[in-house]
Parts: sequence; structure tokens; C-alpha cells
Amino acid sequence: MILHAAYRIAWKDVVGDFRRRSTLSSMLFFAIAALVVFQAAFEPDRKEAVKLLPGLIWVTVLFTSLVGLGRVFQAEEEDGAFEGLLLAPIPREAVFLGKWWGNLSLTALVELMLLPVMLVLFNVDAWAVLPAMFGVLLLGTLGFTALGVLLAALTQGARGRETLLALLLLPLAVPLLIAGVQATAALLGTGGEIAPWVRLILIFDVVYLSLAPWAFGWLVEE
Amino acid sequence: MKRLAKLQPLLGWATLLLLVAGGWLIANAPMDFQQGNSVRIIYLHVPSAKMSLLMYLAATACSVMYLWKKNESMDILAEAAVPVGALFTAVTLASGSIWGKPMWGTWWAWDARLTSMLVLLILYVGLMALRSAIDNPVKSAQATAVMVLIGAVDLPIIHFSVQWWRTLHQPASLGGGGTPRIEGALLTPLLVMAVAFIGLGGYLWALRTRTVAAQRQLDALEHAEEDHDDAHP
Repeated sequence: MILHAAYRIAWKDVVGDFRRRSTLSSMLFFAIAALVVFQAAFEPDRKEAVKLLPGLIWVTVLFTSLVGLGRVFQAEEEDGAFEGLLLAPIPREAVFLGKWWGNLSLTALVELMLLPVMLVLFNVDAWAVLPAMFGVLLLGTLGFTALGVLLAALTQGARGRETLLALLLLPLAVPLLIAGVQATAALLGTGGEIAPWVRLILIFDVVYLSLAPWAFGWLVEE
Repeated sequence: MKRLAKLQPLLGWATLLLLVAGGWLIANAPMDFQQGNSVRIIYLHVPSAKMSLLMYLAATACSVMYLWKKNESMDILAEAAVPVGALFTAVTLASGSIWGKPMWGTWWAWDARLTSMLVLLILYVGLMALRSAIDNPVKSAQATAVMVLIGAVDLPIIHFSVQWWRTLHQPASLGGGGTPRIEGALLTPLLVMAVAFIGLGGYLWALRTRTVAAQRQLDALEHAEEDHDDAHP
């Protein structure tokens, strides 16, 4: 029941996005623009590119997801539909899950398209570990988007919301960034062990996935 | 609030006495044979580092109470704790940096505790920005309380992740497990300063709490005035 309601909300968001709001393409092209900026700033040769790649991947994903998170509640805000969503006879946790799944799907899709583009643009021959890299990225995205959607709800109705969202989200994402970059570097053969870093990502995921739905409930309480 | 108004000057005078006593003890404390006179900065650095975390704990406790009981005075206390904590965090970072230059040969190193402290400062600033960015007082209180909780959950993760990542900082001077690794002659002034800083934190917190409470009363009065004017032009 809860899961079904959440699924309907997520479906509404994703389909609505494909039809009208096109967050997906904004995110993708923002990411590609960021890649051009990185290339211009660092001009890595092949060896440097392998070393830089983990950091570039995670930084790009982090900033790109800010684009998506700024719009998570946009549809609801425009028409005052958020109250309607809260009035629906479903638990608040279901609303959160639905919003989270919607954002997670879009972010995961962007990552899926972004990774091969990055390998091509930076001339890194790591096609063999591409699925594993995507796996690590997706694992981190689970907790990160949960935290992000929670913060998007938190900054609803705030002045200068997008800046505020970045200011609040980026410091909290530091552990994830460290763990993700180290794990990805391990996959590319430029880092150490992968296991402890994957464990750290898992801790991050478990903490935020268990905290966020309840925190969302307290937040929208009248 | 009335009790707080009585408590605040008491705290202030007690803190002043302790700070004077601590200052006298520090002036008479022996120099460290390796670190020389610059060791004296730890009497400022360590207590303010403890206070920066303690104020966050205080804000967390008040935020939990607010979310649970919906008691506005808890929200006022939580709001007041944030800038005080930010102040201590800034003092910690600045004093650590000044100490780091002669000791490590650099103003800044991306070591575990420095990084965590910097993140804590950004978190404090973010909390203040969040508080002031939402006009609806109830929404603003709820959002800030939840954000304080998120930060409280994230801070240990940040700390441990950065610790795994890199560590150069010397082990903790106080309460770092087992016996303190510091001579008695240096320890006494440190403990006095620690108590003095707890007093200072309490004093500033009380001061800020009363300011916030007064500000909110003023806002409420102004709103009432506006409504009244609207009703009877």
C-alpha cells in the first residue's frame, strides 16, 4: 500500500518530467558543460586523467544533482499542490519515498549516460570496470538523493533556496564524496582497497535512508 | 526567561573570575621543552574546541525537545546556541591555525579534526542562513530543528570518514582515552580554562537566548500593530 502510493508519486514525477519539465536533459547538459570546464581547467593527459577521473565523476554528479534537487518540489509549489499531496490518505513516509524514488530515477539515468561520456571525453580506457563504477556511484546516490530530497523539502519556501540547498548539502556530503572517490579510484587501480570505502558508503546510505522518511514527517507536520 | 535574567550575571562574574585565575595560571605555567611558549595557545584552543561541540550538542538536545513538545522556548534556546557554537568553532580554527604555523610549518593541513571543524563551521553558518531565509516562524523553527538533527547524525560520520582518510593531528590532549597525556603543571590551567569556557559558553548562550526572545516579542508586537492598523485605518 505504502509502496504502491510511493510508486505512483514517483511515476507521476518521472513521466511529468519527460513530458514537460525536462529536468533530465538540464542535468545531463549541465554535467557535460561541467566536463568542458574541467577539461579547460586541468587539461589532463592520459595518465593524469585516470588519476583525476574518480574525483571528477563524483564532483560532477554532486553538482549535477543539485540541479535536479532544486526542482524536486517544483510541480507541487507552482500550483499549491503540496498540501493536496499531504492531504492524501497515505502516510507521510510514502510521500517522501515517492519523491525520493522520482529523484533517484532521474539522477541514476543521468549517471548512466554520464559515465561513458566521461570515459570517452577524458580518454580513459576503463570500459571493463564501467559496470562496477556505475554500481558504486548508484550505491552512493541512494543515500545522497535521500538526503537531498529531505533538504529540498526543508528549504521549501526559503529565500535564495538553491544556494541554501548547496550550502547545507555539500558539507554533509563530504563523507560520501571521500568514500566514493576512494572506491572509484580503487576500481581504476589508482587507489587502495575498495572494501572499507564501500562499507562507508553503506553506512551513509543506511543512516540517511532510515532517518530521512521520519524527518520528512516532522518537517511537514502542521 | 526571568530565571535566565538572574542566572546570566552570575555566570558572567563566575566566568570572569575563572578566566582571570586561568590567565594567572597560564602565565605561570612552565614552557613545553619542544613547543616553547606557543604551547600556551592550547589553553585557548582545547577548551573552545570542546565548547564548539558542546554547543552543538545543546542545540541538538533543544531541537529534539522542540520537535517533540512543540515548546517555543526550546526553539529559542536552539536558535541561540547556534551562533555561540559558531563563534567557538571559529576561535578553535583560528587558534589552531596560529599554533600550526610554528609547529607543523603550515597554517592549514587537511587533517581529520581540522576538516571536521571546518565542516562544523559551515554547518553552523548554514543553520543561521536557513533560520533567516524562511519567513514563516513555525516552518523556520521546524526546518532548522530537523537540520540540526541531520547535522548531529552526519558529524560523527564526517569525523570518522576524514579520520580514515588522513590523520596528522596529534592525539587528543584531554579525554583521549586512558590517562591524560599532559603534565600536571600544564593540566591544571587547562582544566581551569575548560571550566571557564563552559561558563563563558553558558553566559553567551543565556545572553543570546534573551536577545532572541526579546526580538521575537518585538516582532509579534509589530505584527499586532500592523494588523490593528489594517483593521482600523
